[in-house]
Amino acid sequence: MYSDAASPPSSFDTARIVSSSQQPSSEPINWTHDMSGVARLRDRDCFLRIYDHFMPRLCVYLRGLGAPEAVAEELAQESLLRLWMRAADFDPAQGALSTWLYRIGRNLHIDRIRRERSWMQVQDAVEEASALDVVERSSAEQFADQARLRQRINELPAVQGRLVRMSYFEAKSHGEIAQALGMPLGTVKSHLRRAFLQLQSKVGGVR
Amino acid sequence: MSPNHHLDESTLMSYAAGALPAPLSIVAGAHLELCAHCRRRLGAAEAIGATLLEQTQPSAADEARLAVMREAMLSQLGALVPADRPAEVRSLPPERPQADPDYMPAALHPYFGPSLSRLRWRWIAPGVHCIRAVGMPELIMLKIAPGKSLPMHSHGSSELTQVLRGAYNDALGLFAPGDIADLDESVEHQPVTAPGAACICVSALDAPLVFSGWLARKIQRFVKL
Repeated sequence: MYSDAASPPSSFDTARIVSSSQQPSSEPINWTHDMSGVARLRDRDCFLRIYDHFMPRLCVYLRGLGAPEAVAEELAQESLLRLWMRAADFDPAQGALSTWLYRIGRNLHIDRIRRERSWMQVQDAVEEASALDVVERSSAEQFADQARLRQRINELPAVQGRLVRMSYFEAKSHGEIAQALGMPLGTVKSHLRRAFLQLQSKVGGVR
Repeated sequence: MSPNHHLDESTLMSYAAGALPAPLSIVAGAHLELCAHCRRRLGAAEAIGATLLEQTQPSAADEARLAVMREAMLSQLGALVPADRPAEVRSLPPERPQADPDYMPAALHPYFGPSLSRLRWRWIAPGVHCIRAVGMPELIMLKIAPGKSLPMHSHGSSELTQVLRGAYNDALGLFAPGDIADLDESVEHQPVTAPGAACICVSALDAPLVFSGWLARKIQRFVKL
């Protein structure tokens, strides 16, 4: 039943697409101004606007990864403290603030909870290499990309959307997803590959 | 030189999600270090995670708790002064690190040291040497003599192989330094190393290789997977 994503959408898919277009998700917020307030003026009001938006979301994300409630709160606080401390390192041309914070939260979880020593070593090596990367998108274009991405995630076929969420919100490997859903590994990978390509088409010139 | 064989989109998503098993993420990192194309696609995969993060619906019941944490955070802000890190004191990486024949990707240093020429190889079969990473048995370095054909094999589930020196050919094409082979159970292949120099590559597996033949069984026994 999972093998052919090109088949016509099931009634469930259709209902899903209709309902998500009836309730458009709130527009993404451009944090560039508040971030520069934090970085340059140490402005607490700017910081608290960012905090109030992201703190509850980071808690939900980290709990979803399996962190106990208190640990999730602690890691979310630490992520936002890092934002306060390192705001000057944030470059809106390199991607959205949500992407920057997502990376911080994810890295803290892998480092502290899963205690994978290798992860931060690899992150540092990749980050070092990207210091020379040329950014081809303006921050306004990046922001528009983010808004389009949000729309497209809601429009993914149900199976692809489910696998994407299992990857990102439960940090399940391809093998674990295959096992949990009784799906061949190759099918898991091809669904995810198609989801990525669909989300990226005409966004950011990535293809 | 920029790589011609890249990470699969599904692998990049898994890496961005923090869901790639550790040995695979180390080899993926070795490729990402060399490949601006995959770094750009990784950024896109991380933006997907960020968008999902934005879309989470915090429950209203959390509000009282959040107020407490907000106060705790505010009391910490005053005490913390950001470290004055002078901009860009960080040394930039050499522009074409892979031009150095001894170049070992930094992601591999903790397991194999800083240089390809200082590796201490173990002979396992004619023309085949191997090193297993300390503390990570699914991560191996292989050195295969030029012009040698490896046994036909397929993969129990996933394998990532990054070429560091030399080259090999298989049904998927020519793999040269910087290229990564992102393989799964659907691929059965028989790599043949290019003439000239030995081929050195680093491989991570998340399940046993499925080999046939005596050399294959020998490798399998060595790798103990």
